[in-house]
Amino acid sequence: MKERIRDSLESFFISVTLINIAMLVLGMILRPGQRFGYEVFVYPLLYGLIGAVPPLIINVDRELSVRQVIIRKIFQMLLICVLLVAFIFGGSPLNRETCISAACVALSVVLIYMAVNVISWFLDLKAARKMTADLMEFQKKNNG
Amino acid sequence: MDIQVKKIKTEENEYIEIGCHRVTDQIREIIRYIKLHQGSIEAYREEKQYRIPTADILYVEAVDDRTFLYLAGDCYESRRRLYEFEDILPPQTFARISKSAIVNLMKISSVQPALNGRFLCSLKNGEKIMISRKYVPQIREKLKG
Repeated sequence: MKERIRDSLESFFISVTLINIAMLVLGMILRPGQRFGYEVFVYPLLYGLIGAVPPLIINVDRELSVRQVIIRKIFQMLLICVLLVAFIFGGSPLNRETCISAACVALSVVLIYMAVNVISWFLDLKAARKMTADLMEFQKKNNG
Repeated sequence: MDIQVKKIKTEENEYIEIGCHRVTDQIREIIRYIKLHQGSIEAYREEKQYRIPTADILYVEAVDDRTFLYLAGDCYESRRRLYEFEDILPPQTFARISKSAIVNLMKISSVQPALNGRFLCSLKNGEKIMISRKYVPQIREKLKG
């Protein structure tokens, strides 16, 4: 449980940072003239929170194979896409502009989701290298 | 064959060194005896009972209510449950790495991240086994001593 919370928090903070970047890029492309109030600072946190929910729901204590994990991650990503698009464009009229914006948001979610996983993998790689170095030291010490 | 015994400093690890021209069956028997003296576990293969030196065990795995001991080239079955091995095996060198496995830390050659958020450890015989994230903090503690 502790590990799951730690992983969720790690993913959340990486997501919030990447959502900020995505909002900047998408905003400059789609609505460069748009002006916001201070409430805009809440949105990355809110979107990050929505993105953190599916991994907590679609989680099993059973140890999964690599294939099962990939399938689970694809489902999580699709659920995040649906949740965020529904949250952002839920009350908007269905027109061409909304569809383009929704598609851009969905694409951003896919890119952010992939980036979060790649960054997490690199953090794991760093941890694995440290563990290998500690192991070598441990084996040297115990072998005399 | 001469036998030499020398005292070493208390901060150094104790060791046994064998100087020989060739590794003969006699030398292998001496090595086996020393290893057995350090600790051994009874296991079975094809209805025969064996005593396996704990130092030779790569990992212990539970599969469908059966427990197996894996050595560099052999596999033996044990009648003990996996949790019993946590008490029997030397805690300094053996660590639980998942719900179903205990590994000999002296037999790991490297650790890599796996795609499924877990870690993959390569053993000295080339085999790879999974480490659950849950057990990583305990392994790290053990490595720090």
